[in-house]
Amino acid sequence: MGWLFVFLAAVSEMVGVVGLKLYSQNKTIRNGSIYIGGLGAAFAFLYASFNYLQVSIAYSVWIGMGTAGAVLLNMVFFGESKNAARIVSLIAIVIGVTGLKSLS
Amino acid sequence: MMNKSWIYVILTCLFELIWVFGFNTAETWWHWGLVIVFILFDFYTLPKACEAIPTGTVYAIFAGVGTVGTAIMDVFLFEGDFSVGKVLFMALLIAGIIGLKLADNKEVDKNMKGVA
Repeated sequence: MGWLFVFLAAVSEMVGVVGLKLYSQNKTIRNGSIYIGGLGAAFAFLYASFNYLQVSIAYSVWIGMGTAGAVLLNMVFFGESKNAARIVSLIAIVIGVTGLKSLS
Repeated sequence: MMNKSWIYVILTCLFELIWVFGFNTAETWWHWGLVIVFILFDFYTLPKACEAIPTGTVYAIFAGVGTVGTAIMDVFLFEGDFSVGKVLFMALLIAGIIGLKLADNKEVDKNMKGVA
């Protein structure tokens, strides 16, 4: 059950970041709701998962999946740069974030 | 335009650190009021940064700075412990953020040359 909440939290975060992208391009209420609603739901699901899992584990898995997913979605659907330096840097950030959270 | 957007990236990260700190320390109603004000500032500056810089870049930096910031706060303000592992992951993360900034600059140069 806890892992289901973590998974839902990561998916909500990706939705929120797509909303963020859309809202930055076009400031409509719909796009703003996807942005705020997605990130808000991500926090709510993450918080729910704390009832079942250790906080540092749930947090590190969520943030790793969510950040990597958000970046990938932007590359695939919004044509953001796929140059090697950028991909290596993003991998370093995701590993750093996940590792640091798992130790905290 | 590019440089002005980086100011928004810095602001959004700064606001994030302030409200995360607030979350850990807020006690009275006006503390929580301030936390909410900073969250609103944060949600305003985040899409501003994404207007001229790729959203993937902005979001990764946002998540990265938040993580490093909370880890450092944990050690210095809330008496958590520092370990070699934490320092290594922090270094890797910061290297990634700098690399991302450099990679995006290179991309802009290339586009500029394409135009000229």
